[in-house]
Formats: sequence, structure tokens, C-alpha cells
Amino acid sequence: MFRQLARSRQTVSPSVSPRRQLANGPGGFAHNTKSRKAILFVHVIVHFQNMDVNATVESAVIDKSTIPVSNPPEVPPTASEQPRDPLEPYYRSRYTLSGHTRAISSLKFSPDGTILASSGADKLVKLWDAYTGEVIRTFEGHTEGISDIAWSSDGDYLASASDDKTIIIWSLERSAAARTLIGHTNFVFCLNFNPSSNLLVSGGFDETVRVWDVARGKSLKVLPAHSDPVTAVSFNHDGTLIVSCAMDGLIRIWDADSGQCLKTLVDDDNPICSHVKFSPNSKFVLASTQDSTIRLWNYHTSRCVKTYTGHTNRTYCLVPCFSTTKGKYIVSGSEDNKIYIWDLQTRQVLQILEGHRDVVLTVATHPTRNIIASASMEKDLTIRIWHDDCL
Amino acid sequence: MNESLISPFNITHPTAVQTSLFANALFARFDPSGRYIGVGGTSGTAAIWDLETRARIRWLEGHVKAVTSLDWSSNSRWVLTSSKDWNVIKWDLASKCDPIQRHSTIRFDGPVVSASFHPRNSNIILALLSTGEAFVADLRKDHRSRVELCEVQDDGDNDGRLRSMMTVARFDPSGKHIFVGTSSGSILVFNSRTKTMVARHKISGAGTMKGFDFAKSGRRLVTNSSDRTLRQFNLPVYGPPNPDGEFIDEELEPTHRFNDPINKTAWYGMSYSPDGEWLAGGAADPASHKIYIWDISNDGQFASALDGGREPLVHIHWHPSKSSIASTTNHGNILIWHCPNPERWGAFAGGFEEVDENVEYEEKEDEFDIEDEEEIYKRKMKEEDEEVDIDTIPGATSRRKAQLDRMDIEDEDFAWADHDADDREEFRMKIIMLDDDSEM
Repeated sequence: MFRQLARSRQTVSPSVSPRRQLANGPGGFAHNTKSRKAILFVHVIVHFQNMDVNATVESAVIDKSTIPVSNPPEVPPTASEQPRDPLEPYYRSRYTLSGHTRAISSLKFSPDGTILASSGADKLVKLWDAYTGEVIRTFEGHTEGISDIAWSSDGDYLASASDDKTIIIWSLERSAAARTLIGHTNFVFCLNFNPSSNLLVSGGFDETVRVWDVARGKSLKVLPAHSDPVTAVSFNHDGTLIVSCAMDGLIRIWDADSGQCLKTLVDDDNPICSHVKFSPNSKFVLASTQDSTIRLWNYHTSRCVKTYTGHTNRTYCLVPCFSTTKGKYIVSGSEDNKIYIWDLQTRQVLQILEGHRDVVLTVATHPTRNIIASASMEKDLTIRIWHDDCL
Repeated sequence: MNESLISPFNITHPTAVQTSLFANALFARFDPSGRYIGVGGTSGTAAIWDLETRARIRWLEGHVKAVTSLDWSSNSRWVLTSSKDWNVIKWDLASKCDPIQRHSTIRFDGPVVSASFHPRNSNIILALLSTGEAFVADLRKDHRSRVELCEVQDDGDNDGRLRSMMTVARFDPSGKHIFVGTSSGSILVFNSRTKTMVARHKISGAGTMKGFDFAKSGRRLVTNSSDRTLRQFNLPVYGPPNPDGEFIDEELEPTHRFNDPINKTAWYGMSYSPDGEWLAGGAADPASHKIYIWDISNDGQFASALDGGREPLVHIHWHPSKSSIASTTNHGNILIWHCPNPERWGAFAGGFEEVDENVEYEEKEDEFDIEDEEEIYKRKMKEEDEEVDIDTIPGATSRRKAQLDRMDIEDEDFAWADHDADDREEFRMKIIMLDDDSEM
């Protein structure tokens, strides 16, 4: 227990929040973003290699030069041109989007898959056309960096969680903030809508999980959920359960209606929990921990049924994803600047995507097509969109 | 979904008030998904409440006199309200305006007591007027009509006796038949397509019929009547309408009678639980809010009486899938009853289990044996080879199947009802941002 405590201290205390070192890192408060007006034009650069990553211009770069995609070592090099198994992933970089001026913290495809939303430590939320990479819109309003964003299930609203202790719900129709949710007493770190989108759940550094009434903008419940910052929280597919995880290494499952804790999952070593989400059918939860491991838990039996390793995750809260559009994969960024794709069942690494020049904090999988979006931190500042066109 | 984690040994009927909504309501009805309640008020305003946020999310403003009934379409998109102002209004909750615009209005020649949608098609509407007449209004383009349901008069009975009034009218859960209760204590059964009478059941001693409720299967009916008794019947199977206009004319004997032997209170309403195992009766007690619950699966034994305080009960409705009841008080408040789960503090500690009493722990022979780490790892890897299913949702397929079955059945009545149905696609309520100031 002491060991665990000491370790979590170590990671938290250097005034650096895991995933979002970015949000309150050096220079975060002094940075003036007001003067930076979003410039909404797109130019296409064929060779992106020498591009200035700090440019304030949003741009989508088509990666015509085929990015070297390294396959796992056991795959013979000749086979890498044509994947042998039609269910194997064969993702290639298609676009490189730049526009954020500080580390990118979250990426989410809209429920219909047409828009990609991104947020970052530069206090901005940006919407991109998921298929062309053009910037659609930039939302400004938060006074501190943003750690997480979430779409409502009809795609009408987008919520953002910020270090300014508030959550803003943006209306896409009105192109403006529709609600500001005030209540968290410290940085808000994670949030998600329920399937009917009348509720929003959020977690933060005040160690609570809060449930909000979206239509009224009022807090409905405050769950004293954890004893350390809450790093992820989300609903299951029918909205009856909430799963949360925290830097205390615990994954808890809650009854959404009564707010009662129903289950706690804990691994023997108690590593800091980076992220957790339900599987599409809500029978399992996928949790990534800072011992460089992603686990799939059967929460009914409290058993870990799959373990995915190979990537590096020691410092940040990386967000893994399910991918079900082609084969069934687990996709995650890594602190070695790569993106790993595992086979859900065999737990083998099927593909490694290279190209980013800094830690890949977050990835997002498209709801219907074989598209992956990934985003990276300060030394890179780009979003990459990867396509798999093989059938 | 959460049922699997909550203790399965719970009582399946509600036992305590979870919340009360100050709604100015005359009655409150759950929608088929169980997420919302529709509320009718005295001033003619109806409203939709979201049970998850416990807030009013839509206003239905259109009636100028008290709302008498409210019904939901099977996909929760359409709402039907009837009122004493002679109108029945069909509302479309997909409408983005607030307050929402009415979809259509049907005007009758008298105050409307109740109106309901056909269970398979919300373009077919059954309305009952306070004058004792029942109508089926069809809003479909090629069926547009309004037909009165007429009781077949006995030939030998023409001694100037007044035609009995219709006092209750309901579709059965399949929608094939319309059940009508009369002031003379009989149940009339009509075919919904042909509007011809297929059966008449005299219920001896019942007096005027006041209310019907069907168990979800449609095989059981409970009636409320002026003799202060609830009667449960097992319904016979009705054949197709006879072309010669003949009908079944027989008495039905109730399987159970429920009444209050001491106070002889009347009933304001009754409602079956979704599994049909419980029946709740709302007592017309002038000084208290009492709900009686009978255990139907246990031969109709009285199970418990719920006490909801001092505001008398006027209406009761059981949740379509959960152990929850909405009861309305005469002050217009809605009580939502639920079955509370005791907080299990053991759930906060991973790997712990709560026990009711001390258990002598028996250590297994090999429990603390030191095992080779490699062995453990190998065993774990082997266990992890087992395939997992992450994306089939149980129930989702069966629901679709049920819907397909609905289409497939070769049945004239169903084919008629399913034609031009507007309640098939899934409906999702849009979120409308509300300002608090508009609240009450």
C-alpha cells in the first residue's frame, strides 16, 4: 500500500498532471491565446517533413509520400506490401493536420463519423472534416487547457473538460457555448455523455465523479468516487452503469440511477489507471495502466481476460480504443511515439504505426470506416489520420 | 444491464418512495421505454418529464380544459392527449420547437374521457366520449375514417330499456381487439379492423365498469367497477369476426376478486407489473395514499400495502420494465416508487465479499503453495486464449427479431394495422437546453 502511495505521489507531485502535463505545464498560465485568431484556410503541402510545427495556420497535409509503416518483426518484408489476411490491419497515413499550438489531449469522431473533434492545452477545441482534414470550426472559451472532449450521441453537442474547473457544452448548431457547468473544485480531467445524452458524467482532480443534467446545466450527483484524481469515466451502452478509474489504481463500477458503487476492480500491483471504457456490448471494460499494459476485464467475475503489452505507458494517461470496423482490434498510442494495433483475441501486435515525433496521447477509431486518428504532444503538435483501404 | 451486478434476491415490487415530482398532475404515465413520464394537468397543459434528470423537458400546450388521458406510441415519439375541451391531440416529440407544435387535432362532439393509440400503429386512435360513445379514428390517408363502435342490441330485449353507456375503452396489447366496458357491467369485445362486436361478457354484480388493465401477454384482464372490487379474468381466444354478425355471448367468471374487506374502499386505478406477477391497486381512500399489492403468481395473495403519506391517491401506473410505480396525489404531486437496494460497502474494496455472519474459513490444500512464476504466467496466457465477445448486445437482436416477427405474421388484422405505421423507427429524444427561470 505504501509502495503504491509513494509511486502515485511521485507521478503527481511535480506539478505535472499525467496526460495533461500540457495543461498546467510551464508557460501554461502565461500563454496568451487571445491574440491568436484562427485562420481558416487550408493549404496542401505534399512534403510535410520540413514543415514548421509551430505554425498557427491550420492545415491538412496529404501524405502522398508513403509513410514507412513498420510491421511487427515476424512479418516478412515482402508480405508487408500486401497483407495476407484480409482481416489484418493495413493502416497508412493519409493526412497530417496541424493547427493546435500546444499538446493535443483528446480526439473524438462524431457519432456519424463526419467530424473529428480535437482539444488541447492551447485551450481550444477544433473540429475537422474527418474525410478531408479541413478545419471546420474552432471553439474558444476556456481559460485553461482542455483535457478531454465528448460528443453527445446525436452529434448536436460537444462537451469539453478544462483545467479552469469548468465543463463547456458547445452547440454545433449555434456554433457557440450552450452551457457552462460549474461545480468541480479542481481540474476537470475526463467526461462522457450517456447514450440518451440527457446526462453527462465527469471526473477530475477533486477526486469526485459528477453527474450533470445537460438540459439544465445542473449537478445531479456528486460521487466521492476515489482517493486520487479521476482519470476516466464513462457510461455503458444502455446508460445504467458508470465506470470510473483513478490514479489510486482502482476501477469502480457504479449504478447510474442510485449512484451506488457496485464493484471495484483492482490489479495485484495496483498500477495507476490511465483510462477505462466499456466494450461496445458493455460486457467488459478496457483499462490501460501505467505499467505499460492494457487489460480487458470481465467485471462480473472480476477477472482479467486479456492483456495487451508491447507499448510504453509510464507517465501519461493514454487512451486506448476498440476498433471493430475491419477485424477486432485494440488501438493505443504509446510513449515511444508509435501507435500499436493488437488483435483483440490473440493479443498479438498486428501493426505499429510510426510517424509522430512525440508521445501519442490519444487515438480515436472511426465508427464505421477503417480510419484511425492519432494526436501527439508538444514536439509534434499534429493530428494524423490513418486509413486502411485494403479489403 | 445493471441488473447483473445488483443482488438478484430482491423483492420485485416497489417498497419505498424514491422521489416526488411537483408536477401539478392529474395522472402520470410511463412511456414504453420507461425513461419518461407523460403528465396531464387540470389547466389543459400536459408535460413530459425525464425520470433520469427528474425535470420537465417538454410542454404540450394545446388543450383549454383539463387533460383526461395521455398515451404513448410504442417508440415513444408520438403522444396522444384527450381533454374535456372535446379535442384529442397527437403530438410529435421529434418536433424541435419548445413548446412543441401539435401534429394533428381530432375534434369530437363532446368531452373526451380517454384516447389511446393502436399498439401497432399510432395513426389509429380509439377515443371514448363522456356521452358514452366510443370511436375509432383512422388518420391514414387511404383509410381516413371515424367509426363508432356499436353494441349489438338483442332482438328480444327491445322493451324500451336505454342503451347502456360505454364507460371504458381500451385496445388489448396485441391491438386485435378493443375492449369496452359499459355502465350495465358488461365487457364488449370488438374487432379493431372491422369494428364489429365479437363477444359480450356479462359480469354479474359488477355495476358500472370504471377501468381496465391488461397484463402484457394480453391473456389476463383486470377490471375495476363500481362495486369496489377488482376482478381478474383469463380471456378466451376470440376468433375472426363472424360475417353473419354472430358473437360470443357468455358470462366470464373472474379468477380472482380483490377488495378491501374492512374499509370497503373503492379503487382509483390498478396496474400490472411488467411480468404480470404483481397487481397494484390504488385505493380511493380520502385521507391517505395507499397502494395495495397482490402476488398474482402466488394465487393472488395480498403482499403488501404501501403508504405514501397523507395526500390521497388519484392515479397509478406501473413502470413498463422495472420494479417502479408512479402514483399521483390529489395535490398534483407524482410519487415515484422503487425498490431500494441496500448499499453494499464491500463493493468499494476490490476482491472482497460481504457475508451476513461469520464464516469459518477453510484453507485449501494448495492455497499458499509457492508456484513457479513461469507456470503461473503460462496458465494465465492459456486462460487468455479464450475468445471474448465484445460487441454483440443480447436483447438487441431479439428485439429486432420481435419486430421482424411482427411483420411476418400472416394475419389480416395485423396486416391492416401495420399498413402505414409511423411508430416503427427508433426514436431518440433531442436535448433542448432549458433555462431554469422558465421553471414553475
